[in-house]
Amino acid sequence: MAETINADMGANVWKILVKEGDQVEEDQVFLILEAMKMEIPVMAEDAGTVGRIHVAEGDVVASGQPLLDFEEE
Amino acid sequence: MTQQATKPEDEKLTREQEHENRRLAALAMGGSKKLETRRAKGELNARERIALLLDPGTFRESGLFVTSSVPGDRDKTPADGKITGSGQIDNRRASVIAYDFTVKGSSSSPTSNKKMSHFKELVVKTGQPLIYLSESTGVRMPDAMGGSGMGSANGKTRFLRQRESPWVSAAFGYCFGSAAWHTMASDFAVFRKGAVLAVSSPNLVARATGQQVDPQELGGWKMHSEVTGFADAVASSDEEAVELIRRFLSYLPSHNGETAPLAPVPTGSGDRADEIRSIVPEERTKTYDVRKVIELVVDTGSMFPIKARYGKSLVTALARIGGQSVGIIANNPMFKGGALDGAACDKATSFLVMCDSYNIPIIHLVDQPGFLIGLEAERNKVAGKIINWMNALSLVTVPKIAVTMRKNYGQALINMGGGGTADSTAGWWSSEVSFMDPTSAVSVVHGVDKETDPELYELRLAEMNKGTTAYDTAQVFGFEQVIDPAETREYILGALSDHYRARSNGVGEHLLRTWPTSF
Repeated sequence: MAETINADMGANVWKILVKEGDQVEEDQVFLILEAMKMEIPVMAEDAGTVGRIHVAEGDVVASGQPLLDFEEE
Repeated sequence: MTQQATKPEDEKLTREQEHENRRLAALAMGGSKKLETRRAKGELNARERIALLLDPGTFRESGLFVTSSVPGDRDKTPADGKITGSGQIDNRRASVIAYDFTVKGSSSSPTSNKKMSHFKELVVKTGQPLIYLSESTGVRMPDAMGGSGMGSANGKTRFLRQRESPWVSAAFGYCFGSAAWHTMASDFAVFRKGAVLAVSSPNLVARATGQQVDPQELGGWKMHSEVTGFADAVASSDEEAVELIRRFLSYLPSHNGETAPLAPVPTGSGDRADEIRSIVPEERTKTYDVRKVIELVVDTGSMFPIKARYGKSLVTALARIGGQSVGIIANNPMFKGGALDGAACDKATSFLVMCDSYNIPIIHLVDQPGFLIGLEAERNKVAGKIINWMNALSLVTVPKIAVTMRKNYGQALINMGGGGTADSTAGWWSSEVSFMDPTSAVSVVHGVDKETDPELYELRLAEMNKGTTAYDTAQVFGFEQVIDPAETREYILGALSDHYRARSNGVGEHLLRTWPTSF
């Protein structure tokens, strides 16, 4: 099922660890947000394929803003 | 000799036969067709739910022969759609109100309300939990129409909660009207997947507002577990919902005049304490799942999360330590970095209210970067929520214990049992305490940041990092003890003994017992 993964809080996009089209496993980290001086990983809840990535490293995102599309297996 | 006209023998019923016929008619509920439809969907009926909830053979029914007071409805309303009575759960007394959806959608009538009120009063007088097995279309129409309908609608104590004994509700299907109100007024609400709880049905919403709404969107189990936080737990089946109620009650006393029953301590509890050090990274910017730490600190298998899908940066869970019920409040860096948002505040406050009302000691496991700040937070009234939490914590009279695990900053430190609000405090030897993260403090106080002047930044940071260790806090009695993370369980066991309220046999003052049942 295709879904869009959104930021659950306002944050800086610190590191992006996947590319569009990557196959990922459950609990694999897509990207790391930085907020409240914490490195907050955004992870896959299931195995699947990374779709479009909507953000770049260094971007500031608001709560609810789309980070990436993800197709679960 | 003229033959007398006599009734054939089989039409003249004995007392026994008449009684049995009436009994069977009442037990038939809304009829075999409706019962069969439910069975086909995998749903239990009201009597099956009661049988699962109570210890076998202990149900003593009250009001079996009640029917609607509307003459034309008498034969169609067995038990008037509410099956009520008392029995035992794990050998302790409990009363139950089961909504029978097969009888007029278990809508509420004046007589069925009378049945429910009887048990609301009984549980206060006798000190036992009241369990609602909820599923209702709401008020019965047309019975409630007009001035005389509404004029006889209520009783003074119908929605009076002072938490003398626990109220628990399972929302199984459609919960409108009293099924919604009783669920909202309960200390623990489990939603079965598929349940819908709302003030009005989607149909009435469409008629009143012209808005076409999907029932799940309006008040579905997912919405209430993730958006409103009204669902304390979610169950995949009727059976699981009933099991969750039994499990919840096992952590609670029957009433507020006693403490919860002691449970045997599973062998091996606390044996894996050393693993805590490898779960929690010392570097304060790294995340981990605090639930793994809780599992190692409490009696094996005893963690029972409350509102697990809501305000996830804070974990609230019932558990046992040394067989004794405790309430755990722990920051979870895994979500939002552990930053406390409005949802986490509401969740903490309602959990404190429950623990204080039922004499359950509270344990804080602290690792938090502060309250989540910003436009959204302020618009969502976070300042008010922080101080409601603070006020509730100050009113708690059960033992409060606080362990700082890693970092602990700002006002949130006080909300999490620091600053003298807890009875007993400890810090892990690696923990750090300050008003804010030292890197933020450098920018705020000196206006220096890492990018523009790295040398000065490092110098100022070294200054800011001074005086933030566990020993600095311990020096001013901010921590009573500085401990190895692996000693957390031992420390809590000791603190629970130290702070046991022997003068009242562990019973607190319940200053929060009239706090609102919702937020």
